[in-house]
Amino acid sequence: MSEELDGLAASPTVRRWFESAGYDSDPPEEQEARLALLAAFCQREGKSPDELVAGCLRTTKLGDTAISAKGRTAMQAAIEDFVASTGRAGRDAVVAGNALRGFLIHNGVFIQGPVWTG
Amino acid sequence: MEFKQVIGSRRSIRYFEPNRPVEDEKIQVMLEAANRSSRSINADYIKAVVVLRDELEPGVLEQLKTPTTQVSTDLAPVYIFFYGDMSYGDRAQESLKELVDVGAINASHGWSHAYVDEVVYAQVLRPLLSDPTVAGWMCTVECGLAINQAMLAGVDEGLGVCLHAFNIPLAKEVLKVPDHWIPMWMLLVGYPAESPDAGGQRPRRPLSDHFFRGQYGNPWQEIPEVTERLRREGMIQAPAPLPNRREEIRELARRFGLPE
Repeated sequence: MSEELDGLAASPTVRRWFESAGYDSDPPEEQEARLALLAAFCQREGKSPDELVAGCLRTTKLGDTAISAKGRTAMQAAIEDFVASTGRAGRDAVVAGNALRGFLIHNGVFIQGPVWTG
Repeated sequence: MEFKQVIGSRRSIRYFEPNRPVEDEKIQVMLEAANRSSRSINADYIKAVVVLRDELEPGVLEQLKTPTTQVSTDLAPVYIFFYGDMSYGDRAQESLKELVDVGAINASHGWSHAYVDEVVYAQVLRPLLSDPTVAGWMCTVECGLAINQAMLAGVDEGLGVCLHAFNIPLAKEVLKVPDHWIPMWMLLVGYPAESPDAGGQRPRRPLSDHFFRGQYGNPWQEIPEVTERLRREGMIQAPAPLPNRREEIRELARRFGLPE
């Protein structure tokens, strides 16, 4: 795995994603593919994984963490744009978008995407 | 399916066969079950709009999707939007007298047309129903009874069901329901894509945690032979998680391209 992906894999939100989804025991090539996808998305957005998560959350007046509806809507659009920019279509596009959503979900962001029913 | 088996087999199904339609006949069974539920003062509380996903205009379907309902609306072929009709009190006086007329409530228990007109309606129901909190509470409880019967009837028909919250303003715009209907739940209906046991019966605390004999603090004591009989008859089933549930979820997620 590249140095860049190693660094990404060590960030707290990525660790949390892998542990929560049980990806640590998956074949190395599957792990690397997930990290590469997230890395490409981060690069396009100019944000770290932790910043992606933070952008979907907000702090309430009482100091609690809540979902930012605006942040989540913006994230949905960013994911769709990113997936389209990679040239993926059909099932591949659904899977890639939802893999990114999985990263957010395992970090406490309730977000849903399209379903492949074809 | 036997009655106890139906109760024991009900789960919130979250993975439906998206391309397998549900027969209208089975939906009718569910609606009739809701219509037959117990209802205080024999009033008409429950209302529903049955929406077949594939009959919706694509734009309308998109309108119903929110960031929290997209997966459900894509997977379930049928949504039943349940509402409570807050005008239920309008016919209360008449519907109570209907019950007297058909011999459901009788003089042996103190009931008569005069009692309905002069006491029950005039002194109890009318003031009670003029309090929106009480009227809303009553409507909600009664709708819950009906919705549960619809769910169980669905299970009996071999369907999967799952209650879901919905976006109230969006649904009102799309379904065009009247202002005096208050939202209850959306019931997702379809054939399960997951195993119908959906990973096993959900965790429940023992009866003694919730139910009491005589007074609060004196827990109901379970009779072990009855518990055992209910296991044999299917009301009590193997608890979640069943072996391989995690693998099943992963397979389903991969089939539908969903997050794992």
